[in-house]
Amino acid sequence: MLDRNKAPLPQKIQNIDFVRPQEIWINSSVKLLWMQNVPNDTSRIDLYFDAGLRKGRNIIASLCSSLLFSGTKEKNTTEIHNQIDQLGAFFDIGLSHEGVLVSVFALKENIYEAFCVIYNAIQGDVFPDKEIIEKITGKKEKHKINSGKVGFLAQRKFQEKIFYNTPYSELTNLEDYDNVTKKELVEFHKSAFKNGLYKVAVVGNLKEKEVESIVKKCKNSCIDKPLEYYKNFCNSPGIFHIEKKSAVQSAIRIGKTLFNKTHEDFFDFSILNTVLGDYFGSRLMKNIREDKGFTYGIGSALAETGGSGYFIIGSEVGIQHRQPTLNEVQKELETLCSIQMEQNELNLVKNYLLGQMLKSADGPYAMMDLFLSVDAYSLDMDFYNQYIERIHQIDTNQIKSISNKHLQWETMSVVSAG
Amino acid sequence: MVSFERYKLKNGLTVLLHQDKTTPMVVVNTLYDVGARDENENKTGFAHLFEHLMFGGSIHIQEFDKALQKAGGESNAFTSNDITNYYDIVPAQNIETALWLESDRMLSLAFTDKSLEVQRNVVIEEFKQRYLNQPYGDVWLELRPLAYEKHPYKWATIGKDISHIENATMEDVKAFFNKYYCPANAILCISGNIDDSTIRENIEKYFGSIQGGSKPLRKTPKEPKQESFKIKIIERDVPANAFYYAFKMCSRKSTGYYLGDMMSDAIGKDSSSILNITLKKELELVTEINAFITGSLDDGLFIISGKLAEGIDFEELDEQLWLKLEEVKNNGVSAKKLEALKNKISTAKAFQEQGLLNRSINLSFFELLGDANAINEEGLIYQKISHSDLVLFANELFSKNNCSLLKVSKNAG
Repeated sequence: MLDRNKAPLPQKIQNIDFVRPQEIWINSSVKLLWMQNVPNDTSRIDLYFDAGLRKGRNIIASLCSSLLFSGTKEKNTTEIHNQIDQLGAFFDIGLSHEGVLVSVFALKENIYEAFCVIYNAIQGDVFPDKEIIEKITGKKEKHKINSGKVGFLAQRKFQEKIFYNTPYSELTNLEDYDNVTKKELVEFHKSAFKNGLYKVAVVGNLKEKEVESIVKKCKNSCIDKPLEYYKNFCNSPGIFHIEKKSAVQSAIRIGKTLFNKTHEDFFDFSILNTVLGDYFGSRLMKNIREDKGFTYGIGSALAETGGSGYFIIGSEVGIQHRQPTLNEVQKELETLCSIQMEQNELNLVKNYLLGQMLKSADGPYAMMDLFLSVDAYSLDMDFYNQYIERIHQIDTNQIKSISNKHLQWETMSVVSAG
Repeated sequence: MVSFERYKLKNGLTVLLHQDKTTPMVVVNTLYDVGARDENENKTGFAHLFEHLMFGGSIHIQEFDKALQKAGGESNAFTSNDITNYYDIVPAQNIETALWLESDRMLSLAFTDKSLEVQRNVVIEEFKQRYLNQPYGDVWLELRPLAYEKHPYKWATIGKDISHIENATMEDVKAFFNKYYCPANAILCISGNIDDSTIRENIEKYFGSIQGGSKPLRKTPKEPKQESFKIKIIERDVPANAFYYAFKMCSRKSTGYYLGDMMSDAIGKDSSSILNITLKKELELVTEINAFITGSLDDGLFIISGKLAEGIDFEELDEQLWLKLEEVKNNGVSAKKLEALKNKISTAKAFQEQGLLNRSINLSFFELLGDANAINEEGLIYQKISHSDLVLFANELFSKNNCSLLKVSKNAG
């Protein structure tokens, strides 16, 4: 007879086999990574450009990345898009402080051609006036719409405080859109895209010859010395509120400057972060959502930048719950610092993290993403084996001490809008 | 090709097994044939609120997520106007944990007052976050009742009004569970690295003894054929005037669904689509324009939405839009464009099928439609679409009498 009161005994997660992609150096600073073994016909090519917000004025970097297919001498924007469509390809452009990532998705028989269309469009971009104006109009409107969202308002203020007194704290304002010249765009494009390629990642069963051609083609646009990232951040602690009269919810962002994967505390803090706010059963979710019902969701994360990183807690709560939520978050941080957590809870988090690790290593795309995420800091796949080892080893006392080191409430920038 | 096996337990539970030995994970996906369309008009938002309660503990298990997390897994769920779908993703060796949890909440819930109280509040916050607290957030709350008069698609999954959620009682919760959450009304799909020699035995062990119940009869009010153009104008504090043209189209099961899907890609999916090129790029009437379908199980909607450029009024857009739609009705889509659309669909499908979770949800959904194997057939349906199919479709769809228009006008203040 089945005893439903008894949980099946969870089995240990077996060892995970982390597979490195093949490395082909394009020049002495830039490499192409290739994960060839894909059990189906899909493929992806990622192009990393040193064209992030840090590289120039925000507005220029952001316009430039969204005008990458605006037209070349030979083809207008519609022709470029039609060509991409014809190949059944998709693309995605992501902009961060540190760079621009252009990803191309297609079936393997079309990926090389799709890459060529996209690469040529990016390199030969001439920024037709009409396209610039259209993009500015569109972006301005998005900006206005976003300004009606408390999440956007809070995020901006948070950015100001977390990157305090550094170029990273620059915000784009509505009037910036009227203060753009084509010359600025062209100059930015020249250094950021024509000479700014710093990594290529290929997933898919392409022909050797195709990969060779990609390497050859990319040679002309590569950076010639390794990138350096801004390191010296220090957030401005304190409590900041932006009033928005009509809001029915407040957005909350709480955080402080921390570090990235290269820091010795990264493993311990990542585990602590999971306990606090990075899974459904986390302390924050349990308290603020599942016990109090203040919010639809609350979470925390350790976000990385090229040379640093920061901790962030984010949520949207009913306006009447704003102060109580801040109080509860403070209480949760203080509890982690003052009371040693139960072994049971830590064991659960350990198991959960190992399961997530297994999932995040499932398949060639996931494996490539794992590699990219350590390669960005000049680390290797062994990082994950060390992390797994640390997950096994860490004890409740160490969680408490890492909390005390990094989770002091007075050190946080506390932002709300609504 | 997604291979699978299908059988039914004695209690009526449909089981799909899809083996993939390349992944270390297993997905346990449970689809219940109930959605917002099954709600009482005076108690809307219930199917979705109920989904939240399914995580509030079951008859033998106090905390659903805890046991799953301990096994290295995670779970989530979603509710639509048509279905409620739950999934657990676990390392393959811990599949039993997921079966234990999923079967226990199919057997019975804990029905605690605390869970109901808290989840009511959580859902109210979700309502605010998604629908009230951002520009254009309430558009679907307005558009649905404009387009539908009788069919329950006239309310959104979240519910018509916050008060419906506030007023939900434990009695409602229990009645809903008893009616809809029985094996006969569910499809269980297990996919991933499953052990062929033990999986059936395990499913029987956990699900076999649950009382089957009977599949509830669905008496959904049928939406009468729309006879005339409908229009509504709302004023909101938004930065730009926005428009939403909603055309009535066929149900998910009919081939017209695929035509609608492709037609929406053709005229309004991305920057190379017909309306983007004409109304946005050439005429500069709009700053954005999109077309998409709701894809609902009963008769759905084909939506064309967008925002007016500064200084352009609704009438100018309206005139040009109808002209363009007339052109599509007369000329259809060029052969080259049609080929590109098909190529994109093939790529998208290949990428979708990469993910184990996607495969699991799709298998379950197609089984609900009648046959899980449709997952392997729909690619061909798209490839077979011809120029004249699309012309015919456009002519049926794009008429004023078949259209409801919602305008969101920015108020002067």
